[in-house]
Amino acid sequence: MNWAEIIVQALKDWDTSLIAYVPDISIDQVTRLIDADPFFHLVSATREEEAIGIAVGAYAVGRNAAVFMQSSGFGNTLNAVTSLCIPYRTPIPMFINMRGGPGEFNIAQVAMGRSTKPILDVLGLVHFTFDDDHRMGEILDGALKLCHAGRQPVALCLTRMLHGGKVA
Amino acid sequence: MLRFEATQLILKHAGDRPIVANLGPTTDELWHAQHRDRNFYTYGNMGLCSSLALGMAISTSEQVISLDGDGSLLMNLGTIATIGREQPKNLIVVVWDNEMWDQTGHQQSHTAMGTDLEQVAKSCGITHTATVIDLEELETVFRTALEGDGPWFIVAKTEQSEYMPVSPIEPEITLYRFRNSFSS
Repeated sequence: MNWAEIIVQALKDWDTSLIAYVPDISIDQVTRLIDADPFFHLVSATREEEAIGIAVGAYAVGRNAAVFMQSSGFGNTLNAVTSLCIPYRTPIPMFINMRGGPGEFNIAQVAMGRSTKPILDVLGLVHFTFDDDHRMGEILDGALKLCHAGRQPVALCLTRMLHGGKVA
Repeated sequence: MLRFEATQLILKHAGDRPIVANLGPTTDELWHAQHRDRNFYTYGNMGLCSSLALGMAISTSEQVISLDGDGSLLMNLGTIATIGREQPKNLIVVVWDNEMWDQTGHQQSHTAMGTDLEQVAKSCGITHTATVIDLEELETVFRTALEGDGPWFIVAKTEQSEYMPVSPIEPEITLYRFRNSFSS
């Protein structure tokens, strides 16, 4: 399995069938698989904060849900993460394409990309970074277990080293 | 129309259907009108009431009712477009539209200055819509919405009213109790 297929398998293993996302050219490698698989319901949100709200709504009626976004969009989620996910204790895995690292060509992506993990740390939210697919399935499975055990969002940070990224 | 009386009317017809309430007075009034396991009280999550209800509607076969507000919905108008795109047949959005941000000092909202939320919903592909100005109209439209397919988008014009005591909501317990009611 490649990295995208590993993510799809982990989501299935954790019966996570509602996926809300804002499109991203790198994460498209995963969301394209999700969209083609009848196990999933893929919801295209207009904004990352909305995607979090939709995912929490699904969880509130008993369906596991995850969100996909870019690191710039993670900034858009903060009202939802801090006022909804954390106080209501909802285990929402957040798959984040990390911009602003080695190979970045767009200055507008740098500040938020570099701030994403420090913000997660300040919020007390656990994050895992994937630069390659070595033991990725095992780590992802453990991350999703931790997410449900702690009933808090967990961030899965996907770098350009993993997915090839977008080149200018 | 007073929002509290309108909330009581919704509860009278809602049966055991899940209801998501916008933050602040809408949540407080729902709690005072009738506290029930299937009330999802939002508490500070401004703008997310109907997004939550959309996620629920996609994930359950039951009808889901969102009691949103004009100020909150204006913060997240995109979710109306997502509702239009998803077309959940089991979602009923009711917007308490008092044309102001009541809690922050009664500042006029955009709906006081010409924004028509029903037209926004229509333009997003939601075909079952209404704007109601009194309890009688609300009751007629809401009963129709309960009996057929949605999504429905109902703008209910409400007037300013005194605040009720803040309800003793604990977010973690709200989620736990609400979610457990779907586990049978």
